[in-house]
Amino acid sequence: MADLVKITVDGRQIEVPHGELVIRAAQDHGVYIPRFCWHPRMREVGMCRMCLVEIETPRGTILTTACTTTAAEGMVVHTASDTAKKAQEGILEFLLINHPLDCPVCDKGGECPLQDQTMAFGPGESRFVEEKRHYEKPIPISDLVFLDRERCILCARCTRFADEIAGDPLIEFKDRGNHTSVETFPDLPFSSYFSGNTVQICPVGALTASAYRFKARPWDLLVVESSCSHCTVGCRISVESSQNHVLRFNGVDNGATNQGWLSDKCRFGFEFIGSEQRLRTPLVKVEGEFREASWAEALDVVADRLGAIIEEQGGDAVGGIGGARSTNEDAYAFGKFMRTVVGSNHLDARLDDGLDARFLAAVSPRAKIADLDRAATILVWAPDLKEESGSLYLRVRHAVQERGAKLVVVHPRRTGLDDRATHKLTYRPGEGPALLGELAGGAGDYAKVLETLSLGPVVAVVGRTGLTEQPQLAEEVAAFALSLPDAKVLPFARRSNVFGALDMGVAPTLLPGRAAAGDSEATGHLEAVWGPIPTQAGRDTMGILQGLVDGDLKALVLLGADPVRDVPAAGIARRGMESAEFVVAIDLFLTDSSELADVVFPAEAFGEKEGTITNLEGRVQKVNRVVTGPGQSQADWTILDDISRRLGKPLGFASAEAISKEIADVAPPYGGISWELLEWDAKEGAVVPYGEAGQPVAYRPDGVDREALAAMSRNPESGAFALHLARTLYDDGVLMRNSLSLHALAPGGAVHLHPADAARLGVSEGSLVEVETVDASVRLPAVIDPSLATGVVYVPFNQPGIPSLGSDLSVVVAAGEEVSA
Amino acid sequence: MSLWPAETQEMAKKLIGRYPDPKSAVMPLLYLAMRQDGYLTEAGMREVASWTGHTPAQVQSVATFYGMFKTERLGDYLVSVCTSISCMLLGGDEVLDAVEDETGVPHGETDAEGLFSVEHVECLGACGGAPAMQVNYELVEGSTPDQARSLCRWLREERPEAVNTDAMQEQFGGRRSFDWAITEDNSAVGPYPAFGPYGTLRRGDT
Repeated sequence: MADLVKITVDGRQIEVPHGELVIRAAQDHGVYIPRFCWHPRMREVGMCRMCLVEIETPRGTILTTACTTTAAEGMVVHTASDTAKKAQEGILEFLLINHPLDCPVCDKGGECPLQDQTMAFGPGESRFVEEKRHYEKPIPISDLVFLDRERCILCARCTRFADEIAGDPLIEFKDRGNHTSVETFPDLPFSSYFSGNTVQICPVGALTASAYRFKARPWDLLVVESSCSHCTVGCRISVESSQNHVLRFNGVDNGATNQGWLSDKCRFGFEFIGSEQRLRTPLVKVEGEFREASWAEALDVVADRLGAIIEEQGGDAVGGIGGARSTNEDAYAFGKFMRTVVGSNHLDARLDDGLDARFLAAVSPRAKIADLDRAATILVWAPDLKEESGSLYLRVRHAVQERGAKLVVVHPRRTGLDDRATHKLTYRPGEGPALLGELAGGAGDYAKVLETLSLGPVVAVVGRTGLTEQPQLAEEVAAFALSLPDAKVLPFARRSNVFGALDMGVAPTLLPGRAAAGDSEATGHLEAVWGPIPTQAGRDTMGILQGLVDGDLKALVLLGADPVRDVPAAGIARRGMESAEFVVAIDLFLTDSSELADVVFPAEAFGEKEGTITNLEGRVQKVNRVVTGPGQSQADWTILDDISRRLGKPLGFASAEAISKEIADVAPPYGGISWELLEWDAKEGAVVPYGEAGQPVAYRPDGVDREALAAMSRNPESGAFALHLARTLYDDGVLMRNSLSLHALAPGGAVHLHPADAARLGVSEGSLVEVETVDASVRLPAVIDPSLATGVVYVPFNQPGIPSLGSDLSVVVAAGEEVSA
Repeated sequence: MSLWPAETQEMAKKLIGRYPDPKSAVMPLLYLAMRQDGYLTEAGMREVASWTGHTPAQVQSVATFYGMFKTERLGDYLVSVCTSISCMLLGGDEVLDAVEDETGVPHGETDAEGLFSVEHVECLGACGGAPAMQVNYELVEGSTPDQARSLCRWLREERPEAVNTDAMQEQFGGRRSFDWAITEDNSAVGPYPAFGPYGTLRRGDT
């Protein structure tokens, strides 16, 4: 805690931290000083001059900017003296010389800082009668953002954001002087993954979002606060709707998670909610064709067929996949449904993360996101955070760029953080264990890296860099990281509520509350509420799908999961589902997977239901309802409850909130967490284990095991390349597919090759290349990518129209034959 | 991959080597880009961006701030006439009129032939020798309107490959600000300053 100093603001003495900016100190004590350029999450620049205040100094009072002046003992500030008011009026009068005042047709009208502050601090009338400047009306500066230069007041919030926060300085002032305007470079759009933030922080209507332009007036919007469901950070957002349509998301400044920022995927990835493609009624497959059915009819079919399979072959013949896209309450209902109603331990929320459930749920000591702000060194041995978790990426970038933390990035190709990395280690997929061994040994070039890493506190973001990587490697990396001084691990997986679903026991090895399946005390505690649960060993997602292929399993329950699209081994997923005698899917859309189901129930989506989610650091936050689901859609838990009644073993849930109370009872780490707490007291969320609760499963990998590492190393078959298969921010996932603004931004299929390999194969940029794995054979355009090691190809996963290459390491690559025109 | 010829790339490396951070070399490299293309093209700015590690938008921001980075094609001779207060009081406006009349080019424009570009500029730092003017940034001080006309005629008729301040001053100039200053030996071969490493001609080089 910094020393406190006494300063006087408008005659009132306040105590504020020494060195605090006057504008922030005053605001924290209820005095709002007008501003345009100053933003609490960016460096102060003092360029709009709106925050002029009078400050008494030994040489008399001076007029100065409150956003660049720091509080010091005895300082006397006047924010509303005649001189200060005159200065503020003058600045506003100048700003309005050229501002078009087209507020009635401007998206920002009604929530516009320029409008509001003109009302509060402005002169009321202007002495300027001259012609205002004119520019071409809005020009697109990216696929998602329009710029109307006439409205711009040159506060530079957007350009500073692009440079300082996003690290993509693709917009800048041009023609500085009398004709200053914000511009991109010709033919080089502001294609930042974070461009939408500039719309939110623009203090006028100069930047507008293509998805929201002219859709609503701010005062007509119904707004609730919620947490984003696109990745595992759970950024705080406001969900804003009009006439029962979600129209936009805005970032909410939650210090613990996103600090107000959102990636464009999260900001604009709401369109799927209102998609025409949403399921509206239950569907039942009759002679290979779906036909709309009533709830009663669909439930009867499920009760008959699933009931028969359970009756004849036992619950063990049924698998359940899903829950990672649901709320904790829904996931809990799913786990309870599978274990008590069906009587099966074959359930899994993980689709492709591949990481051990106990590792994800319970690795300790676990870092919080905010620990990045205190870390001296950050190790990122994980997927490219820029592609998979925008706000985590921004947080790491900020720690390095603005605070000077050291950064070590380990990844098979370039990542968004490379430009800020102290050390970047590149390796061939399959050889990660060998690299880890050498790094831990610290010989040769690795000595310097190890030296950097020995500067604590260390935060290690650990995940699976790609879908062909050995899943156990992450645990060894975590073990290595935890051997570093004052180290904590932040385990990374991407699918939004996968951590919550695992905490709810949606994994074969876990029970609710991070307890190990098979642990007699935890089982006893659970059975007291649930009744008997099965004891046989459960299968994970791949095991379930393989079991269906082999005929060991007969039926499948899908909860918001699309394994055909999301599991890298798409072939097994499809064959498994086709082999199943009966598949019931609960989903928002007919996906490649639910297409193969026998009965599909329409589920409510994000924004249509209430509940809680748990992010990667274990933070529980509330998500809220602002619109109603389309047609007859229902919450996941309601559907599961309905099915359970028909199967004669009612779950007996009354409401999602009632489920949350049951969770608090059943899962000790969640004890004390309630909706009321999250809504009123713990606004930034509550981190599990909460309160006094301990962690039933403590997972601390012990030390790097060189032998295990050696055994883990793999190489592609001779003559083949090593495949690096990784996700991109925009892809062909079902939510993206139904968010039209974003789906078009998916980079598309491509095969990235090292220049030397390309030369050897006779391949140049853009030429077609034959790519073959055990799972698929496709022809993709080549991209020359010097960031790869030789002998490696990178293929972005899940791109529109491109079949999955599977998770096998070996890939055969050959120049495609020229197709003559 | 640079589109510049090897010789230009060498100069770029030399310029960047003078600074602790390649980003700091953006302005010298912009002159180099102008030397390469005659003026600052989009391709030139992209090139500078890739050498310095800026984005093209940032390079553009720098380039459009300074009047001496020209983003439009100029004539072979850029004639700049100072009309700031000292020169204005001593006939700068008349010199400008004479130049416009003699070349037929209004200030801010370039003739169709691509021979002359004319501009009026703010202070050239030569108040002591006012009125001051420049040809391709080579200074000529104390010229009368008639001398300015002769200078333009000379340029049109002789089409010198390079211009040099001392030579022009001797022929077309009047009083100088400093006659004791170090003489700059470089001659300008285009509308960018003839100092240092831009490889401009020195007298006797050709």
